[in-house]
Amino acid sequence: MSAALSFEQAPPLSVPHRFFLTGPLFGVAAGVLVALRGDEVVLSRWSMATFAAVHLVTVGFMLQVMCGALMQFLPVAAGANVWRPRLVAGVVHPSLTLGAVALTAGFLGAGADAMRAAVVLLGAGLTAFVAVTGLGLARSPAIGPTLLLLRSAVAALAVTAGLGVALAAIFAWGAALPLVQLVHLHAAWGLGGWALLLVIAVALLVVPMFQLTPPYPVRFSRGLGLAVAGALAAWTVGVVLDVAALDVVATSFGVGALGAFAVKTLHLQSKRRRKVLDTTVFAWRVGLGCLLVAGAALVALRLPLPALARARLEYLLGVALVAGAFPAMMAGMLYKIVGFIEWLHLQRVMAVPPTMQKVLPDARARWQWRVFTGAVLLLVGGALWPPLARLGGLGFAAACVILELHLISATRLYLRLSAAAALETPATP
Amino acid sequence: MTDLRLDARELLPPEPMQRVMAALPTLGPEDVLTLLLYREPFPLYAALEQRGFTWRTTLADDGTYTIEVRRR
Ligand code: HEM
Repeated sequence: MSAALSFEQAPPLSVPHRFFLTGPLFGVAAGVLVALRGDEVVLSRWSMATFAAVHLVTVGFMLQVMCGALMQFLPVAAGANVWRPRLVAGVVHPSLTLGAVALTAGFLGAGADAMRAAVVLLGAGLTAFVAVTGLGLARSPAIGPTLLLLRSAVAALAVTAGLGVALAAIFAWGAALPLVQLVHLHAAWGLGGWALLLVIAVALLVVPMFQLTPPYPVRFSRGLGLAVAGALAAWTVGVVLDVAALDVVATSFGVGALGAFAVKTLHLQSKRRRKVLDTTVFAWRVGLGCLLVAGAALVALRLPLPALARARLEYLLGVALVAGAFPAMMAGMLYKIVGFIEWLHLQRVMAVPPTMQKVLPDARARWQWRVFTGAVLLLVGGALWPPLARLGGLGFAAACVILELHLISATRLYLRLSAAAALETPATP
Repeated sequence: MTDLRLDARELLPPEPMQRVMAALPTLGPEDVLTLLLYREPFPLYAALEQRGFTWRTTLADDGTYTIEVRRR
């Protein structure tokens, strides 16, 4: 190739990979916890086992992977340069990892000290992360709707983390705060704000790019961002001022946004020009299907229901989002972007880098997707027959083990190839 | 002067970038290379900057970005 491609803005590979390699391990822990204590998880969203399982996935797995992906993709997707990525990753990665362990331990009875550690570690790590990515995004020259969504996602992360720290302070120091209201706000900003907005922002970029679908129309994308913002605003005011009528507004906007996003994405995928059957497409379908299930559960929860049915629906909502939608789309994305990032880096040092297919063959992704989908179906089935949830937990752990092994093997391939390339051309500038 | 048009909307990465890089040296002082994409190509901007090109980007309602590249 005459002109070597330039990706100077991309951080070194070790920056995203340390997050990617850590995340699935927390997924394994979450699955094992549900395998052991699935009965409590199905029984109530307010049990300590549920809180622990939720955060093993949201903070341990999702936040970890999303932070790594953002550090890699902000420069490429939004021209937003991340300040000293190596240093930031060196601070954020250990704080998130140890913070997730401490938070889980705190929920599982390790006492107030564990919660205090979680407050300090997660508070510091997320403050650093939000500051650096927020600054990069504030200066971004991008013109498209992705920027608005990325900015809102990072802002929602700041709110989520702030509310999470306040909640943890109740456990850690007995802070006199309204627990139930704070949980309602924190959960909505975390899942409906940070996670949903980020998935939408990433979808706008990667669905047309890797699956060769038509693009999302600009007005549609902006509308999604506004609807989510409207839902969060209505929900927050409704909870804080105790205005029941705003619940209808929040639910309509929220369910409308996630439903429109899911249906539009499925529709775009059905029109994709790349007819090769690609596992990412299946992974997105499972994720989007789970989003629709979550939307239905959110609506159903507004009906007058007996306590048992309500608890089961709450469990279904949690499983659809926390075990299904977000991990499905993230695993699908990991199989694509890890191959892509490695290609980006390898083509700087070797003439013919292995294709993305070679780094992470689709057959592997397919295998992981099958186990994962089976696990999600079992977990969903747990809403009807609770023993299935424990089996589902086991399956979820297995799917995360497989993902981890595949990521390790891709990383080893990269290390081997880049070491060999360095030997061949010792004088690379 | 010639106008080059590269519709890369249906190409998988990294092909769009490779094609632009191949086309750049053929661009005369008055020429315009028009690139169509469904995303804003920040890695390309960095490469253009380094090689002495300027660009102007617009976004259409359907989600198509048009990038017009010229020599500086
Ligand atoms: C950023 C990603 C996060 C997400 C998506 C998230 C999500 C959630 C959800 C959905 C709940 C409600 C669980 C249920 O109803 O069963 C919850 C509760 C909670 N979260 Fe988070 N969370 C996040 C981060 C954090 C952080 C950083 C902390 C602490 C520093 C934290 C501490 C808590 C606490 C203490 C509770 C409530 C426990 C209780 O009321 O007994 N969360 N979170």
